[in-house]
Amino acid sequence: MAQHTETFAGCTITIKDNTGLTINGKEIDYQYDPIKDKYSSKYLPYTLYDSLLELARAIAKHTVEFSHIDE
Amino acid sequence: MAIRKDANTLTAAERAEFVAAILALKAEGVYDQFVLRHANAIMNAIHRCPAFLPWHRRFIFDLERELQRVSGNPNLGIPYWNWPSGGSTASMWNDDLLGGNGDASGVVRTGPFRAGQWSIINASGVSSGPLMREFGQNGFSNLPTQTEINQVIAVTPYDRSPWDMNSNPSFRNQVEGWTGPNLHNRGHVWVGGSMLPMTSPNDPVFFMHHSMVDKIWHEWQLRFPTQGYLPATGGPFGQNLTDLMNNTPSGPVGSRPIDVLDSVALGIVYDDATPQPQPQPTVLIVGAAPTQADIATAGEVDVFRFDVPAFGAHTMATAGPSDTFMTLFGPNDANLEVASDDDAGENFNSQITRTLSAGTYYLRIRLFSPNATGNYAIAVRADGANPNPIPELTLDGVSINATLSAANESDVYRFTVTAEDTYTIETSGATDTVMSLHGPNSQIPEIGSDDDGGDSFNARIRRPLSPGEYFARVRHYSPIGIGAYSIRIIRGN
Repeated sequence: MAQHTETFAGCTITIKDNTGLTINGKEIDYQYDPIKDKYSSKYLPYTLYDSLLELARAIAKHTVEFSHIDE
Repeated sequence: MAIRKDANTLTAAERAEFVAAILALKAEGVYDQFVLRHANAIMNAIHRCPAFLPWHRRFIFDLERELQRVSGNPNLGIPYWNWPSGGSTASMWNDDLLGGNGDASGVVRTGPFRAGQWSIINASGVSSGPLMREFGQNGFSNLPTQTEINQVIAVTPYDRSPWDMNSNPSFRNQVEGWTGPNLHNRGHVWVGGSMLPMTSPNDPVFFMHHSMVDKIWHEWQLRFPTQGYLPATGGPFGQNLTDLMNNTPSGPVGSRPIDVLDSVALGIVYDDATPQPQPQPTVLIVGAAPTQADIATAGEVDVFRFDVPAFGAHTMATAGPSDTFMTLFGPNDANLEVASDDDAGENFNSQITRTLSAGTYYLRIRLFSPNATGNYAIAVRADGANPNPIPELTLDGVSINATLSAANESDVYRFTVTAEDTYTIETSGATDTVMSLHGPNSQIPEIGSDDDGGDSFNARIRRPLSPGEYFARVRHYSPIGIGAYSIRIIRGN
């Protein structure tokens, strides 16, 4: 079973078998569009990503659920 | 009445009024309720789907009503972010309205929504830090241009199957940004930061952004008054004309797409909404040499018109190096789809051969790839001797039994009147037929039509006719309907 784990923007990203995505242990729902060959998620509804890892990094960096910057 | 103005043209007093109203709603907790309404909607029920435009029209309309309430100004409208003149140096980003870009970390530190004055929430309603912006840092360095907006406003129909981000051609999909030059999505991504996730209403520019999106839809509706919202029926639940839209509360305005189609009825006025004239189709002559054409910008759709003087087989075809996609509409209705084709012609060209009744037809040509450009030639020809002569109805004779065997098919019959009298042409059977009557001595002029004047859902036309040759055209009420029927003509009362 292939597994990729990395820390990005303070979040732990895990991808199992190139399909199962978790960020900080939370399972992330995502969609793959076979026509456009792109990945997307409800967390970032305005952007398509070329890979699951690229999507995961964007979620970690840009969503308030995973990214928190103090004032 | 809400008067929506270009955000960059607001007076100092108008800016102050808008900011004060937003801050008042934030203090009440009402503003955050709007953030949650968007954040907790089903993504694919309000984006990447036909309801994208009506859902957001209702959404910003509701916020506008709240702004009017707290400001005491019944004419306060949400300003629109005029993208072509709304770049990072535009006055809407000044400290008296939205404030500017984020700092090196993306934190907004200027204007009324700066860190310490304004905090954002996550989808659970928990305060999650300051407002963030990163102008042009997430893949789009430029905002949509007026040329790109004009290109999208020329696209029809409103939407089409599969009713998602692969719909093409689709005005909705191009406005949203999954095909064509990318308008709406690009605005979100250009701002970046808090405008990227489903909690994007955290940034007040969200509402100005969608005021602009709504203005474009409004102008498209003015330009194409006969192009309605689609799907009327048959689409995914929540997307049809009379379906309830996801996460849209009941209120003074209904929660269905049909309830928000008319901006004027909602009391919305844009300061400069001027409909552009509908593009005039290029006229093709049946049998003439091919006409050269060009898809100069990605996503463009060319429209052609041609007249068929008499019933018969015709072939419409493109030629050249481009992978074209052709859709045929008519007769006499630019929105009634007859057939479409991708590669029936040579070398990825499109071609349709069809027996056509007399009338005016329209061809829409696009390239198969929404991202491609290229040239092509197009021609229409009549295919010589008609292998299917028009069947003749005999006065007071036996009925002719026939079948509408394909979507959008229509059958044509002729009959000859030798003495002036009253005649009845009628269909019978279980199929819901629609009939039109043409003549005398020409298939073009329509002198009568009927849907359900006969028994059950059958058609019946009864009228006095002078001597001459007449033509009756029969189609199914539904563009996708098929079925058997009989037709006959009776003389006398």
